[in-house]
Amino acid sequence: MADNKMLIKFFVASESIFFIMLILAYVNFKGTVVDGPTAESSLNPYVTGIFSLFLLASSFTIWLAGKSLRAKNHTMMKVWLLVTIVLGAIFIFGQGREWAGLIEQNITISRNVFGTTFFTLTGFHGFHVCVGLIMLSILLGLALFGDFKGPRSDGVEVISIYWHFVDGVWIVVYSVIYVWAFFL
Amino acid sequence: MEILQLFNAGWSFEPWALVFASVLVGAYLLGVGTRLNRHSVLYMSGVLVMLFALVSPLDYLGRHYLFSAHMIQHILLLLIVPLLLLFGIPKSTAEKLLKIEPIGKMMRVLSYPPVAWFLGVGAMWVWHMPSIHDMALNNNSLYITQLVSFVLIGMIFWWPVFTPIENRRLNPLTGTLYLASACLGCTILGMLITFAGAGLYTAYINPVDSAGLLALIRNDLCITPGVDQQIGGLTMWVPGCLIYLSASMITLAQWYGAPDEGVSAARQEAA
Amino acid sequence: MSRRLPLVPENTEPLPSLKENQGMLAWVSSVDHKQIGLMYLMVTMVFFVVGGLEALLMRIQLSQPEFNFISPEVYNQLFTMHGTTMIFFVVMPFLIGVGVYLVPLMIGARDMAFPRLNALSFWLVVFGGILIYYSFLTQSGAPDMGWFAYSPLSEKPFSLNKGPTYWALGLLATGISSVASGLNNIVTILTMRTPGMTMRRIPLFVWMILVTSFLLIFVIPIIASAFAMMLLDRLLEATFFTPAHGGSAILWQHFFWGFGHPEVYILILPAFGIISEVIPVFSRKPIFGYEFVAGSTVAIGLLSLGVWAHHMFAVGLGDVTNLYFSLASMLIAIPTGVKVLNWVATMWGGKIIFATPMLFATAFIIEFVMGGITGVAIASVPIDWVVTDSYFIVAHFHYVLYGGSMFAIFAGVYYWFPKFTGRMMSETLGKWHFWLTIIGFNMTFFVQHFLGVMGMPRRIYTYQDFPYWGSMNLISTIGAVVLALSVLVFMWNVHVSRKRGKKAGNNPWDAWTLEWAAASPPAVHNFDLVPPVRGRRPLWDLAHPEQPDEPNAKVVD
Repeated sequence: MADNKMLIKFFVASESIFFIMLILAYVNFKGTVVDGPTAESSLNPYVTGIFSLFLLASSFTIWLAGKSLRAKNHTMMKVWLLVTIVLGAIFIFGQGREWAGLIEQNITISRNVFGTTFFTLTGFHGFHVCVGLIMLSILLGLALFGDFKGPRSDGVEVISIYWHFVDGVWIVVYSVIYVWAFFL
Repeated sequence: MEILQLFNAGWSFEPWALVFASVLVGAYLLGVGTRLNRHSVLYMSGVLVMLFALVSPLDYLGRHYLFSAHMIQHILLLLIVPLLLLFGIPKSTAEKLLKIEPIGKMMRVLSYPPVAWFLGVGAMWVWHMPSIHDMALNNNSLYITQLVSFVLIGMIFWWPVFTPIENRRLNPLTGTLYLASACLGCTILGMLITFAGAGLYTAYINPVDSAGLLALIRNDLCITPGVDQQIGGLTMWVPGCLIYLSASMITLAQWYGAPDEGVSAARQEAA
Repeated sequence: MSRRLPLVPENTEPLPSLKENQGMLAWVSSVDHKQIGLMYLMVTMVFFVVGGLEALLMRIQLSQPEFNFISPEVYNQLFTMHGTTMIFFVVMPFLIGVGVYLVPLMIGARDMAFPRLNALSFWLVVFGGILIYYSFLTQSGAPDMGWFAYSPLSEKPFSLNKGPTYWALGLLATGISSVASGLNNIVTILTMRTPGMTMRRIPLFVWMILVTSFLLIFVIPIIASAFAMMLLDRLLEATFFTPAHGGSAILWQHFFWGFGHPEVYILILPAFGIISEVIPVFSRKPIFGYEFVAGSTVAIGLLSLGVWAHHMFAVGLGDVTNLYFSLASMLIAIPTGVKVLNWVATMWGGKIIFATPMLFATAFIIEFVMGGITGVAIASVPIDWVVTDSYFIVAHFHYVLYGGSMFAIFAGVYYWFPKFTGRMMSETLGKWHFWLTIIGFNMTFFVQHFLGVMGMPRRIYTYQDFPYWGSMNLISTIGAVVLALSVLVFMWNVHVSRKRGKKAGNNPWDAWTLEWAAASPPAVHNFDLVPPVRGRRPLWDLAHPEQPDEPNAKVVD
């Protein structure tokens, strides 16, 4: 059944249009902020950068999980799935930390267009990460009950495509928000 | 002040452009031969269009006065010229060329569709970052690199869809997705440039009026920097996209023209 | 399938069969593409009646100058809900539904690739429709900002009622449903074709559904993100579209029309598909230029993505921008014209049988071309500046949407009704329906061209007694009543024929595509044996083995 993978690929293509629109909204309003916080004045690219590394690493570990699945190494697959979930959760923790810090300084979604676009973009990305984490946890749960003995499983492969996508989106989001504001 | 002035001013037969063109012609004569046929006509017209884009006032205007002229030159070099050159290479030559080890190896990597796509769309985006574009305008060698890279990257971009070796072309569905997504890439960039507001590219706001054309452009033709930038962005956006679109129509037409093998290639590709 | 997995179910298992005695539950729990398709059609029928009544109320209010039939507030809600309903809950789900029913049959498949996803798509549409209509019950009524919800009208300070929130939520649900069915269609068409059914042989209807599906999955996310932003504006006081707080009202217009224009083609391409099936069958000739019809569809699909700003000529984007978009918009006339040419050439020299489906298909060509011509006219900036937001625009898009999409829908219903139910629809009632529609439709909308040019703006609940305005509006209202009457005849026809219509048999029209090889109505498993496919008209090849369409085709088993 190639169907499932084909479905998820087109789904990911469709989702990327969604994110492109959110990013365009961010780009559209970047530089129009007259007063109030901006990316430059309120974000910390280094802390978020470090948390981003965890998300990037999780893309690598889910690839390893897929590799273990193909090698019929059930134990290692479970381990790598678990590591992926932990890495993803650390990233989400980082996001939560950043949001909490901003909200403490009264930078919210309704403060100005920077707040609006920033929270929307990172929020929708974070939502996608959370959905991915839930799906990964279900995978892990099923694996613990003895599912996915390999060498192939659409479930694992499809979710890993989704996870890579979520990761790729973050690279773009990080570049647009942080790299653009601090390193260009 | 007349429009003709624009056409008389600034034919610049710069040596590097002539050398580049003669290298392309020479390579063709050596590699393919001197016979006059469909292939050689397409190839030579590609070289001619390229020469036109490089030495005519288009280049001069694009470099010193008008972003829109630059954009027309850009579309010609990145989208039209490579396509003509590619259509001009006969299948046998391409096969021979790919058998040469380093070229074949390199092309295998470069013509892998995602790589080719990122190069093609990336060339468009990177060279139009305001800072890089302004840098290229002030630095002769960077400017030459920009124009030459348009042609070469353009050929790599078109390769997966229109390689002379027909059975290695992407099937029409994938080809259309390849081209449509590239079109999306250039649409977004065109859109950003069009709606960004005047003055994205600082060099064109107050150009040094070395050829005395500024009054003509600003007063008689009414092209303010804002309008100029809009024309540029829209040229990338609309005609640029139409080229991708026509290309995917060509792939469809070729597919319908080819004999049906009974089992669809799209299906095998999908599986 | 030896690698069966214990816990994650896959779709390769045969689906549970339908029990006879489950009643409504068999429908509600169904994942069968035919039942879901029929449910789509029934739901759209309900919405069609509701949306039609809304239009009728508006027409009565406009029947004479300074009439006091309904209040301006209600009028605003009515035109908003009428537009939204007709586009998102009638034409779109109908075309998707008829696609869901027919695509697997036409390509010789057992079902859609993802039957459960298919059911989800359907129920999401129902859910979205209920959400939107629920807003009528809220304190301050339904949304009243027009179907394109321009900001700041749709924003908090201007719409304090909950209508727009329900509107955005409902459409978001419907949008998710559309993406899901788009994905489902694409995978079905690309991977589930019966052997021999190559991409060059699939019926044109399937081609159109394929292109439409691609449009759906790439275009709906645009509006989904805009809806999300609008909801954030309304619920969390974000500032995307509120200029007073640094937002941009123009951004909403770009987002909306970036989706809105391709949406127009989502509404018309499957209709083209229906017409491309009906015309050859009733002209007794294969379609003229299959490749051109299919290819021009792809061209329309791609072109449609880059022309949205022609809805925004009056916004002030600048002359250059307007010029480029004007040119690009006119280009779409080329592939569309190619299609019209193909249909006419198919009819040319054919033995035309004017049964009701063919009547509607023929009328479709004429009415759609009328709408197309006014479309090319308003693609030109100066003309657009004069007539924008006037009744000329209303006339234009009703000619393409009613004269186009709805006529094709009627043609499709008359054509496939025997397949859906096993019984023919009444020809007599069908002819009554057709002629009443033609008279009512043209009476309603043709005069609106003149009203528009004379300056009558759209979306006004009443008008002063200017010369001819009253009489023309009265003509239009009478036309609307006739049109409503025609719909009643149609519904009566459906009702009567379903029970007492002539038995149809498998292939009453002597058509050539695979769905006619199945029983009428098709068995749960569709085909006992899919006929061999060696050309574009498998049933023709089957009936005329001595004269196949593609004599040299390889036989694939």
